[in-house]
Amino acid sequence: MNDSPRRLPALLLALAALAPAAFAKPAADSAPAAVPGAGTLAVRTLDNGLKVVVWPDHDIPNVALYTWFRVGGRNEYPGITGLAHFFEHMMFNGTSTGAPGEFDRTMEGAGGSNNAYTSSDVTVYQDWFPEEALEVVLDLESDRMAHLAFDPEVIESERGVVYSERRSSVDNDPMGALFEQMQATAFVAHPYQFPVIGWPSDVENWSMDDLTSFYRTYYAPNNAVMFVVGDVEPDAVLEKIEARFGRIPAQPAPRAVTTVEPEQQGERRIVVEKEGIQAPMLAMAWHAGSARSDQHLPLQLLLSALAEGEASRLHQRLVERDGLALRVGASLDSGFDPGLAWVYAVLPPGGDAAAVEKAIDEELERLVSEGLSAGELSRARKVAEADFWRGLQTISGKAQALGSREIFLGDHRLLFDEPARLAAVTLDQANRAAASVLRRINRTVGLIRPSAAATKD
Amino acid sequence: MRLPTLLAVIFALLLLSIGPSRALSLPPSQEFTLDNGLTVLLTPKHDVPLVAASVVVRGGALVDPPGKEGSMQLLAELLGKGAGERDARAFVNAVADVGGELSFSASTEALHGQASFLADDAALMLELLSDALQRPALAQGEFDKLRERAIQSLAALKDGDPRALLDVYGNAWLFRDHPYGRPVHGSEASLAALTLDDLRALHRSRIGADRAILSLAGDFEPEAMRRAVTAVFGSWHKAEGEPPEVPTAVRPQGPRVLLVDKPGATQSYFWIGTLGAAAHDPASAGQDLVQTLFGGRFTSMLNAELRVKSGLTYGARAELERLSRPGAAAWYSFTRTDATERAIDLGLEVQERLHHQTVKEDDLQSARRYVIGQFAPEYETHGQIADALAMLALYGQPRERIERYTEEIAAVGPAAFAAARAVFPQGRDYAMVVIGDGEKIASTLSKYGPVTRMRITDPAFSPPPADGNRPTR
Repeated sequence: MNDSPRRLPALLLALAALAPAAFAKPAADSAPAAVPGAGTLAVRTLDNGLKVVVWPDHDIPNVALYTWFRVGGRNEYPGITGLAHFFEHMMFNGTSTGAPGEFDRTMEGAGGSNNAYTSSDVTVYQDWFPEEALEVVLDLESDRMAHLAFDPEVIESERGVVYSERRSSVDNDPMGALFEQMQATAFVAHPYQFPVIGWPSDVENWSMDDLTSFYRTYYAPNNAVMFVVGDVEPDAVLEKIEARFGRIPAQPAPRAVTTVEPEQQGERRIVVEKEGIQAPMLAMAWHAGSARSDQHLPLQLLLSALAEGEASRLHQRLVERDGLALRVGASLDSGFDPGLAWVYAVLPPGGDAAAVEKAIDEELERLVSEGLSAGELSRARKVAEADFWRGLQTISGKAQALGSREIFLGDHRLLFDEPARLAAVTLDQANRAAASVLRRINRTVGLIRPSAAATKD
Repeated sequence: MRLPTLLAVIFALLLLSIGPSRALSLPPSQEFTLDNGLTVLLTPKHDVPLVAASVVVRGGALVDPPGKEGSMQLLAELLGKGAGERDARAFVNAVADVGGELSFSASTEALHGQASFLADDAALMLELLSDALQRPALAQGEFDKLRERAIQSLAALKDGDPRALLDVYGNAWLFRDHPYGRPVHGSEASLAALTLDDLRALHRSRIGADRAILSLAGDFEPEAMRRAVTAVFGSWHKAEGEPPEVPTAVRPQGPRVLLVDKPGATQSYFWIGTLGAAAHDPASAGQDLVQTLFGGRFTSMLNAELRVKSGLTYGARAELERLSRPGAAAWYSFTRTDATERAIDLGLEVQERLHHQTVKEDDLQSARRYVIGQFAPEYETHGQIADALAMLALYGQPRERIERYTEEIAAVGPAAFAAARAVFPQGRDYAMVVIGDGEKIASTLSKYGPVTRMRITDPAFSPPPADGNRPTR
């Protein structure tokens, strides 16, 4: 939910990016189907530590190249919050061999497009291009991994761009504003408390030195994994990558993030008052596990049954039965360190936040005391299974799916038995996850509402 | 899986100098028409065990009764709230139980049904689609809830990122009383005027097999699917009313500015548009290249000036909406409130540069490569293919329109490009919308033309008529 893309996406994409994303939940039934092409992957780790995964797919004459760096908001500290995201912008702004703007001009001129996003955990660079452009794109990518340069004027101009991004995604978006404050409240020790886009005073103050040291530390080949999916021949592509990236020196491993968020001792509550809005929004966030936690998949299915889609419990209760909310949703952070499980409700203008909270609490109590039904678990699995296949329809979906398993679970091949692992989730596991996570003292409740002055209008 | 046809190979040879050596080739389709007039397109593709459906019914917001904008959109949403033997809850459960996705919506010229199901559940998908279109419950209780929620959702949308509404205000201001100016989702005022009887009448008169296209793509055997479709949709009745005709709108002469006041907004969001091009415009390829260079990619003229060089904004874009008649050709961006004038001035300068500066061959070549290189991923998923073929059929165009597109792009020369620039606003002939903090920007805006002012909380997307000049509907 913290992803902060670099580009101006199509409008719906922009809005979707701000809302908690639908779960990417691969899944299965009793006899999961095999993923076509799963046996055709090629993997190589270069001497400098850069790992490359290639998945040929000749459906369309195009290629998706995703480069994942293990750096995000969690690697920041007060004074440089937002730097990982700002750095993502600077990765497009010039190297010692190419002037600012050259990267995009060359890539687009070769028929390619690109984007990038930063989360609390990772920074991901995405290139989409016709297969003829492969060498051009690899030249560009290796050049910026080896020779990034910083132009002081460009840094200042890019600060303005990031400010504009912040104004749209936080200042002028109630959901963004509420989630930022809740994130900062739910975590008191762990760096997940920092907004990925950065606090405004930090956006103003980071320096050239901060950027230089960030580059050296985190943009090393041994801190990255590259995924090439599409109309390529694996051996040829691996040779081309070896030739371009093989000589970039490895760096010492970045300092580990060791802070562990202490267990929450009681409910935290915040209110954000905002001028000029009409519709309040209520959200709850509970501390949950990391992507590798045994509870992760059961919790995904549980949240899906609770608040994803029109058949979910909270939609039926709050939207259809009680008419208290316009829509509800849920999401689960899926990162290196334990993150949050989120549930939110958008209220109508003048909506009754207390009544919404009471209704959610009743549903949560019922869920914890009675548990999910077998039918609900089966539905959640089926939804996950269909989403799994939807995600594998495109070369970019495959690159994203491989990357998230490799980076967060430690092995891209886990993608292929994920249907089996989801099928193995039991009702008991889902219900135990509910009881251990959805506790009142483990949550932060946030409300954004029109400011007192505005309500008189 | 993709065996290039002979034609594709020939195109590929033509394209060697500029783009992919392999042209896009869509999987082959079967097309047939049922006795009731329903056009059916079947496109098997066996890469993943899914099937997608796209239903398009000609009409859309064009047939919204005057003063009741949003009717077709609300009807679309109501179709999924109980149909056939299922009430609303049973209907959504039937979809969710098999991990399906099914939704109905309206656009300016059509009602759309879109579905994605696991291949094993294709029969259920057809049954649900057919029930929703032919036998919707259209229940009073569900109508009341939906209408209220639609009105409240518009208010909530106005709280959020103004990009969500910029083109709704833009089209309303550009087209005014022309049907293309109607907000597809309606306004708080027009939705309040709607009754269930209106929607029942709309369903009888406007939703029928005679003006519908059903396009399926995915993991199925075409013969079995053909039998299933015929069984399920063969008895769909025809609609009672005539399909709508729409005239071409008038291009704005001279400037007009609409300020949508959003107190406290820290940014101004601006949209500058004129009457653009239709779906069948023979100059489409050239116009698409103009759109690309002007505001269709990261290195576009607008984004380079407003974002890359000046840091004024996170993004600036230009877009063309192609309908049966010319839709809007517009560009838009946003910036911090105190930079509003500088950003709009810069954008207008770029607009003039587009029209007066001769395009360099390098730039034209770059745009051709870009459009061709980004084309194939638009036809990658079952849903994309089903939708694209349905929309071609809606506008009476052959599938070669897709397969020959890259060839057309490659053939656009400097003269065709220069002529195609006229699709975007030029000089002071434009409709401009600015959403922002009126107190701080109103005086600035008067330099761009006569300013009309409304509040974002007003219950419509157009200002109330100032005098008797504008007919009300």
